[in-house]
Amino acid sequence: MKRRDFFKASIAASAAVMGTSLSAGITTRPIDGRKISKYAFPEKKPLITYSDRPPLLESPRSVFTQSLTPNDEFFVRWHMPDIPTHIDPDKYSIKIDGLVERDLDISLTSLKNDFEQVEVTAVLQCGGNSRSAFHPIPGGIQWGSGAMGCAKWKGVRLSDILDRAGLKKEAQWIGFNGKEKAAYYKTPNFVRELQLEELDDHVIVAYEMNGEDLPYLNGYPIRLVIPGYYSDSWVKMLSRITVTDKYKSLFFMDEAYRVPDNATESETPQKHFKSTKPITTMNVKSVIGYPENGASIAYNSQLVVRGVAFDSGLGIKDVKISLDNGKTWENATLDNDAGRYAFKSFRFSFKPNKYGKVTIMAKAINRLGQEQPLAKDVLWNHGGYKYNGIDTVTIEVV
Amino acid sequence: MIKKLILIAGLSYSALFAQVKGDIEVPYIAYEIKMGKGFDAVNANCLMCHSFGYILNQGQQSKEFWHKKIDKMITHFKAPMTVEDQKTILGYLYQHYGNGKLK
Repeated sequence: MKRRDFFKASIAASAAVMGTSLSAGITTRPIDGRKISKYAFPEKKPLITYSDRPPLLESPRSVFTQSLTPNDEFFVRWHMPDIPTHIDPDKYSIKIDGLVERDLDISLTSLKNDFEQVEVTAVLQCGGNSRSAFHPIPGGIQWGSGAMGCAKWKGVRLSDILDRAGLKKEAQWIGFNGKEKAAYYKTPNFVRELQLEELDDHVIVAYEMNGEDLPYLNGYPIRLVIPGYYSDSWVKMLSRITVTDKYKSLFFMDEAYRVPDNATESETPQKHFKSTKPITTMNVKSVIGYPENGASIAYNSQLVVRGVAFDSGLGIKDVKISLDNGKTWENATLDNDAGRYAFKSFRFSFKPNKYGKVTIMAKAINRLGQEQPLAKDVLWNHGGYKYNGIDTVTIEVV
Repeated sequence: MIKKLILIAGLSYSALFAQVKGDIEVPYIAYEIKMGKGFDAVNANCLMCHSFGYILNQGQQSKEFWHKKIDKMITHFKAPMTVEDQKTILGYLYQHYGNGKLK
């Protein structure tokens, strides 16, 4: 959202609240503090668990004190009930076909040895992250704020693979297919299509995450990494890349992961906006990792607020903290520099000097001056996508 | 020193691969879904594609909401549900996970 759009959005939001409240969707802060499940999934610590089939796991808030999300705490989201329970890395390969000069079948070993190896640190976030903030609830999983994470991904540039195959001149769209399967033959496969012009050298076919093989549930042995984009296009267990000249109509492209195609990307529950567009790039967002809601902190002790901020890769300029419900804002210290697609971790020290409830708010601002709106000013959309309201935790000073 | 490094690299590689050489077992979670009239149809149709976690996660919702969910499963995900089962499932969902509102 451009800055100008943001102001428009704010105006529209206040109009909605002042005027016909009946037709307006309302946005609050997403559900927080859900319980960690007692089930540990393969290669994962127990996380917030919504489903075992397909597996849906969310990272708890405390994970976001770190600029890299540990693999065993990284969120998990699959779409189909049937994911292979066995992968033989010695036999795994990806096929590249369609409008190419040479069909390729690249083994995992060849991917690791016959191409230039590159790394990128990038945030992976579900487009529906924080969906539980929207009311009435749009369908879909009612995520809190933990359907996101940041990792250092290692692999091979997609462009190098496509160069090796040789694109024909009619090539326009690239389809990506993973190994998850539906229960019914007629159910649409989870195929994503991207236009050739959307793909730059930062897009990689990755086999490593934070120095380890990809965890099974994060797409072992190979997944697509598209820095700056929401995770719906980061196809897991990538098995096939098909080049076409035409866009194929697909459920997961035409119906899911889309927002209203208007300046504020919003609509009302009663009247959905007719045309939609893919969610594509991420808006500016931050999440506080520490302290957590309801924490008891001793009066006048040295408290360090920590969290992470990111956007689509324009880069985070500032993270501001407010302790007075948004009246005044102070700069937090920004720590790491792992590149423009990475979590930028922030910290802010203060000594709570009044007893009782203290609310801590964090607001990220990127290099274009785009900043997070208040939770109530995030506009409603029927898929519950792209929530990026200012994060807030309330502690008890005792 | 270099030899040592290579050795470490070699070891870590095999250790990582070993994790996924065998079959992966995703735990089965017995969701506490309410029993009642129509549950058999829910069990037979919904569970083919997803756990009951999906239903429970939606919270208490209107009849229209559940109707649209069933419709989505049929239209977009091609669930082969008989008209009778659709009605039964809607009745079940609204009775046990409804918010008392039609819309």
